[in-house]
Amino acid sequence: MTTYIIRRLLQAIPLLFIISFVLFALTNSLGDPLAVFAESRQRPTAEAREEMRRRLGLDRPLLEQYVVWLIGNDWMLVDVQGDGTVMEPGTRQGVLRGDLGISFVTRRPAWTRIEERLPNTLTLMIPAYTITLILAVGIGVYSSVRQYTFVDNLITGASFFFYSMPIFFIALMTIYIFGVQFTRWGLPALPIGGTGDGSIGDLIVHMFMPIFCLVAIQLAAYVRFVRSSMLEVLGQDYIRTAHAKGLSEGRVVSRHALKNASLPLVTLVGLDLPFLLAGAVVTESIFAWPGMGRLFIESFERADIPVMMAILMLLCVMVVVFQILTDIVYTWFDPRIRY
Amino acid sequence: MSAVDTTTTQSRSSSAVATLQYEKGRSNLSRSMARLRRHRMALVGIGLLIFVFMFVLVGTLLIPESQSTFNMPSRALQAPSAEHLFGTDVIGRDLLARVVYGGQISLFVGVTAVIVQMFVGTVIGLLSGYLGGVIDSVLMRFAEAMLSIPQLFLALIALRIFSDPTEFPDFTFMGRQYSATMIVIVFVIGLTSWMRVSRIVRSVVLSVKEQEYITSAKSIGAGNWRIVLRHVLPNCFAPIMVSATLGVGSAILLEAYLGFLGLGVRNPTPTWGNIMGDANSYINQWYYWFFPAVFIMLTTLGINFLGDGLRDAFDPRSLR
Repeated sequence: MTTYIIRRLLQAIPLLFIISFVLFALTNSLGDPLAVFAESRQRPTAEAREEMRRRLGLDRPLLEQYVVWLIGNDWMLVDVQGDGTVMEPGTRQGVLRGDLGISFVTRRPAWTRIEERLPNTLTLMIPAYTITLILAVGIGVYSSVRQYTFVDNLITGASFFFYSMPIFFIALMTIYIFGVQFTRWGLPALPIGGTGDGSIGDLIVHMFMPIFCLVAIQLAAYVRFVRSSMLEVLGQDYIRTAHAKGLSEGRVVSRHALKNASLPLVTLVGLDLPFLLAGAVVTESIFAWPGMGRLFIESFERADIPVMMAILMLLCVMVVVFQILTDIVYTWFDPRIRY
Repeated sequence: MSAVDTTTTQSRSSSAVATLQYEKGRSNLSRSMARLRRHRMALVGIGLLIFVFMFVLVGTLLIPESQSTFNMPSRALQAPSAEHLFGTDVIGRDLLARVVYGGQISLFVGVTAVIVQMFVGTVIGLLSGYLGGVIDSVLMRFAEAMLSIPQLFLALIALRIFSDPTEFPDFTFMGRQYSATMIVIVFVIGLTSWMRVSRIVRSVVLSVKEQEYITSAKSIGAGNWRIVLRHVLPNCFAPIMVSATLGVGSAILLEAYLGFLGLGVRNPTPTWGNIMGDANSYINQWYYWFFPAVFIMLTTLGINFLGDGLRDAFDPRSLR
């Protein structure tokens, strides 16, 4: 087991290098990050911009920029004037030493940008995901046990319906009904965006609609998944044996069927969990929720390469880590699997 | 349907020759299609898709294209009326015309993006599975790398890189002006979603590769090309069909999300997604966002029903 984990970790390292290089090349071709300063109120002179470009290393070849991004440039000299007169030592430490760079826009470390936004995203995503999972297992199991009954068909139909729905449709409809129309009808309306005035109660009120939308969309896919893996297990011989031994229906479903059906669910959850960190781009922008998805869009629009790279690399590392964790949890759930 | 079934069963039992004809006449594909015709959800899906398609087609024939771009700010944001069935948008364009012509583009993007996706995915899957070795591990690591980044993020970045209006100017085709972002988005969606297809194809190739008929094809001197195209590729048909169908749905949704974020196909070309993007700031005017969203939903719903039906139909173990 330990050798397996070590081997997986070693395999992950080249993968992360490939991903980071591809992403670095892509984000660096998004356009000139210094164009932002040309539009700002205190417009720097062309010379100042050239100096800034050299300090940031944006004039160097891509491969060199990538190496600096990885291991920093405090071991080499930066030619600030571009003519070899003023040489300053670099200040960056590089990603491998935990320095994700300075945001081009806010001039603060890229990591502090993430630290500000990550809690917002998690306060939205964790409750939404937890509710989704609990409801999905409940509804999926119920629907599979009563296969082809009216309720099962209703659930299957509804999950298809929500599965095909773009999330902005649900979001706009809930805003229109609970935000706009409730105000017109004089009913207590829900706030339609933002995170409130900072108090917990207000935050929770603001969380209602985004969480409702996220659950509605995610739930559909998970219900279908739980239902189909339950149906597969319920058709197995050992379920018939369990029934034949005279076990109660509830015990067969919970102990024999659900436990086995939860294996594929573990994989799905393990692969989906890291993406919770990315937040929900569309939901966050509709509900003006200052989370990671919005941060990505904001940095994308202003070509803030260090922040984009920080978000993307955080995600990739989490994906790799969760893949390995999923495999470990798998052996715990299914003793037949040995590595 | 049942009449055909009984006659073939009868002739099957009557003589060996008839059995041969039965097997010949009813290939795997036609048996799958017969199963599909009995799949109620798939039929509903086909119905929905025909409805959406007819809406766009009839709309195109009845409403001139100029209606979808003709603006008149004095009639902005009117609720649906007899004159403008879907109302008007913020600069007074007729929303019915925009939904019709936007539908053309959304459906076009969905289908062509999937063609790109299937082509790339199949080629990479075949190469990876058939050649194996270093090529296999490089290609599969690459696919894994792309899978670990949210597709929306990848598409956004790629779209920005390749949508510079100076390099890709608007073009005119059959008397209508289109934004070049429309073509760019097809490739962006296609090239960011081939990974699952290539994995499916690869796994089919791996299981087929060791079969005896491949060995016999090799032993009679068939080249690699011939083996791959004649003996391996046909086995991938069913899974490719299923994921292509479902792929159209996700391509249309992705286009809608990109358009909604205001980063998809640019004006003057309307799509369901960018109409929604414009409507985002006018939530009070329900007709502005409701109709394009309904059509996106009907299309993806139809595609998901059909895709599910196809999966059941191609799966020999399926009972229905």
